[in-house]
Amino acid sequence: MAPPATAVPADGLPAQPAPRAPQPATGSARAWRLALWLLSRSFSSMLGLALVLFIVTLALLGPWIVPYPADAEGAINLLNKLEPPSAAHWFGTDEVGRDILTRVILGTRVSLLAGLAITLAATAIGAPLGVLAGYSGGRLRETIMRITDMFLSVPGLVLSLAIVAALGPGIGNAVIALIIVWWPGYVRLAESKTLAIKEEPYVEAARVVGASRARILFRHVLPNCLSPLIVKMSMDVGQAILAVASLGFIGLGARPPEPEWGAMISVARTYMPDWWWYAVAPGAFIYVSVLGFNLLGDGLRDILDPRSHRG
Amino acid sequence: MLVYIAKRVALFGLMLFGLVCITFIISNIAPADPAALAAGPDASRSQIEQVRREYGLDRPLPEQFARYVAGLARGDLGRSVSTSRDVTSELLRYFPASLELVLVAMLLGIAIGVPLGMISALHKDGWIDHATRIFAVSGIALPPFWFGLLLQLVFAVQMGWLPTSGRLSLMTIPPEPITGMLLADSLLRGQWSTFAEAASFTVLPAVVLSLPCLASILRVNRAEMVEALRADYVMCARAHGVAPWRIVAVHALRNAMLPTLAIIGLRYGWMMSGTVLVETVFDWPGIGLYAVNSAIASDFKPVMGVTLLIGLNFMIANLVVDLLYGVLDPRLREA
Amino acid sequence: MTGSNISRRGLMQGATALVAATTAASPAISFEREGNRKVLVFSGGQPVPILDPHVRYDWSTRMMQQATHDALFKYVGNPPELVPWLAESHQISADGLTYTFRIVGNARFHNGDPLDAEAVRFSFERGLRINKGVAWMFKDFVKPENIRAVDARTVEFKLERAFAPFMSYLPWWYIVNPKQVMANQQDGDWGQKWLTDHEAGSGPFKVRRWDAQSIMHLEAVADYWKGWPMGADKRLAGVIYRVVREPAPRKAALQRREVDVITELTPDDFDQLKTIPGVRLEDHPGMTSFGIKFNCQRQPTADRNLRKAIAHAFDYEALLQIHNGAARLQTSPFPHAVRGHIDVPGVPRRDMDKAREFLRQSGTPNGGIELEYVHVQGLEDPRRIGLALLNSLQPLNIRVRITGQPWPTMVQRGSKPDTAPDMTSVYVTPLSTDPDTVAYQYHRASWGLYYGMSHYQNEEVWRLVDQARAETNWDRRAAMYAEVQRKIVDDQPEIFGMMANRRWAMRDYVKDFRFSPVRFTGEVDLYTMWIDA
Repeated sequence: MAPPATAVPADGLPAQPAPRAPQPATGSARAWRLALWLLSRSFSSMLGLALVLFIVTLALLGPWIVPYPADAEGAINLLNKLEPPSAAHWFGTDEVGRDILTRVILGTRVSLLAGLAITLAATAIGAPLGVLAGYSGGRLRETIMRITDMFLSVPGLVLSLAIVAALGPGIGNAVIALIIVWWPGYVRLAESKTLAIKEEPYVEAARVVGASRARILFRHVLPNCLSPLIVKMSMDVGQAILAVASLGFIGLGARPPEPEWGAMISVARTYMPDWWWYAVAPGAFIYVSVLGFNLLGDGLRDILDPRSHRG
Repeated sequence: MLVYIAKRVALFGLMLFGLVCITFIISNIAPADPAALAAGPDASRSQIEQVRREYGLDRPLPEQFARYVAGLARGDLGRSVSTSRDVTSELLRYFPASLELVLVAMLLGIAIGVPLGMISALHKDGWIDHATRIFAVSGIALPPFWFGLLLQLVFAVQMGWLPTSGRLSLMTIPPEPITGMLLADSLLRGQWSTFAEAASFTVLPAVVLSLPCLASILRVNRAEMVEALRADYVMCARAHGVAPWRIVAVHALRNAMLPTLAIIGLRYGWMMSGTVLVETVFDWPGIGLYAVNSAIASDFKPVMGVTLLIGLNFMIANLVVDLLYGVLDPRLREA
Repeated sequence: MTGSNISRRGLMQGATALVAATTAASPAISFEREGNRKVLVFSGGQPVPILDPHVRYDWSTRMMQQATHDALFKYVGNPPELVPWLAESHQISADGLTYTFRIVGNARFHNGDPLDAEAVRFSFERGLRINKGVAWMFKDFVKPENIRAVDARTVEFKLERAFAPFMSYLPWWYIVNPKQVMANQQDGDWGQKWLTDHEAGSGPFKVRRWDAQSIMHLEAVADYWKGWPMGADKRLAGVIYRVVREPAPRKAALQRREVDVITELTPDDFDQLKTIPGVRLEDHPGMTSFGIKFNCQRQPTADRNLRKAIAHAFDYEALLQIHNGAARLQTSPFPHAVRGHIDVPGVPRRDMDKAREFLRQSGTPNGGIELEYVHVQGLEDPRRIGLALLNSLQPLNIRVRITGQPWPTMVQRGSKPDTAPDMTSVYVTPLSTDPDTVAYQYHRASWGLYYGMSHYQNEEVWRLVDQARAETNWDRRAAMYAEVQRKIVDDQPEIFGMMANRRWAMRDYVKDFRFSPVRFTGEVDLYTMWIDA
């Protein structure tokens, strides 16, 4: 149905899985071992995995390893404000004297949770709708896909900017706004996959032996959409982290004193260029985490969804 | 074929209307009182009520919507409450600045992305290939607002090579507008020094804006080239002793052209939205900065206007690419 | 942690490289010239969307309006003095109801038309009929039909009832040329559309080029009717107001001498500019008060003891530290520069024992509550003050939720006691030095306006404020206002904060900058300034 051109996912990567590429069922332990082996062969994928593990570890251990945990909960120390990096404060201090290292590490948790929440919610909404649309066809499919098209007709950042501006700032609202602009991408993906799978012999066979529609959808169609979905999700976590940070930077993200990277950069910008170190660390963390998830997703795609690899 | 085009265009109209609905709903869930914004801080209640009437904000929502849509049909996007200026005329003023930035960034993306894609295809799985892959992924992973700040820090503040922000230096009088794009206008008017100056202001924001586009072009180009290099006719040419650079430059590149063009078309829309962040960092007076400033002030008519304008650009780009594919690839017309 | 070690090392190396390159030479661009005269370049972050002096004002807009228009009087100096400008003399009737002004004979609009009594009458009528911007100052006291041009040089105002602060608002009512305005009227709009980006004034400058969002070029009027204080040979050719939204490039432009005067910088930026040779700082006590308004009508902050507890726990030193010392704590609800200000004894300062004592008497003796603190989104200082507040209240076991909201949302919430936040940070700049301007903010009539978000209730205070604004004898007024200040402090409807200094950084060749606290933060009087180099 959709010419390949319109089907660019919300993250902007031209990674449209071509409708003609059916997916052989993977799932056996052997296939997974093969996948892991393939992954470990690729330098960039391993780099991605390492970065993701690094970020996840920081998010898990955050409160126990930071030097000044109180600095993310509202403690301030105005006499130490805007100090350059030193042994006591590796990344310096911010405009009210808080340790930037502490806030950046604790910000990992905020960003990671937001990124995961957006991606999972968008998948949970989008994927079933897409499978339903693709499998049932007809008027239902038309309706679902036209609504999807409407949301995809404007770049997500602009729409989410408008939504957060209306809802009011706050990390929760930013996440809601991004879910609203994110789910249609999953509808698109799941729908095109379903269309392809529908015609596969084993689905036909199930239909012939009289399996119920729900059973076909959940036992046969959805599992076979999984690998492209996983690929997209792993890349989207990174893009969602970036999107949350972007809204934070514009001034529509987390509320103080919550440490959020984009909001930190937004404040730090006021102190450029003389207090440049303030902006460096949060930005580097955004970069590292987005890069990690993207490289990982890229590597996963090569393995799980090889024929859709278009670039 | 005509049916196909007609269908696409009808769909386009439907989507546009849907977008208008979405933006209207969004702008009306905000708790802010636009009349209070328009009336100013010291305004008394009677002043606020008067402004509410003047802007038609006292009408029921369906009527406001009908008026808005009727206005849209005339090209009237309403009035900003914080500046009391027409959104349409403001957009006409800011859009060329954004367009200029997007076009320059796009040229940059092509000029760097295509050759890099070729090189990494030729060295598939070599270290150059890995390096360009990480570079390409970085293109979408680098937060543009942060990268912009870093570039400003290094090239504007430390080196002093390039200006920090804005479009022209304080005292330079911009050329009489023809297109509204400074680079084009200064060339058309033969003002070389203004052109050079405008170009120096464009470099940093264009580099930041071009990164995601560059990354896409690079990757599409690489993939297509890899495929093309495997194709029979290339093998054949190789067997016949045609020089490798010739194979790449003539045969494979020609093959990769269509998907690359498609990506450029699609990227155009994304870059329009990228201006939101890049223009904020570089104080570039385009539609992105206009949208952000208005959004922060809870001034929704401009936000809606920019959303619609960017959506329109995005949809047109998609439509053109679709039609192009439809023309070139008959199989898709069935759809 | 190894990972962060690695990235840290990389960062430090980067740091060294940056520091090594810090001494980048900047090209010395000299001030702008036009013929043998100079052009002053002033840069701030706020655009000037509307020129119409009867429709809108804020600091940048009014600076431009003041430069291009004249009013009957003008505020000059510190403390601000009401200096006759277009009015060469005036009379007030004994009952305080009739004001008569004699207009100077030689004032001319920029197009050459004489500025007469009719132009003055027209301008006031226009302001009142449009009912925007400045209209609130007079609309309850003056009816347009009761303003009369008696002859070509005499104009008379008959007030509905006595209003002592009347004169103190006159400097903000600029006179426009009725012929030009009405010639450009569309659909009975009093020329509003046209005046949005045109100007029909008589001031020392006229508009040459104007782009609302980025640049405004004013040209000096060579034969300005009032003459030029620095002498005709030294006067500027013009002024350029340049909008640069971010403080960093603004600061850099001053260092590179691309601009001559800048404002709207962080306190830290100002401190840094102090050390730059060739840059002079103008640093003056301001009149804009920063306060944190409690919602006095809704629990928990309707509890006076809780308000007192918070006010005694708040770290006032932080206000000064955030401004690097360039601020002055309030000692009364009235800023120091307002007439009739007294230092009220017992204005709270940080005292945790007292704070705990008040908390014990409150409805929540052990704290355990969360209060919302709302500030205007994007404003840096109120956000930092919010962090200081959050920190101050932790010992009382009171949590603070800091919310940045756009101005219209904040105002909308504050318009009703049910929705007004527990605490709202508000800057208020009095538009005149008359105490009524500030005192009236605590009146019932101000409930729901941005400075009335506390919905403060004290009938005694309201009565005194009403009495004082109708009273013509200053000594009696002063006594009433002293009482008003004491009562307000006792009720603690807000945390009385500070007045931040007004600051500008300018090249040292900029001469005759004249500070007057009654102008807005950032606003300067361009008329007296010139460049000596």
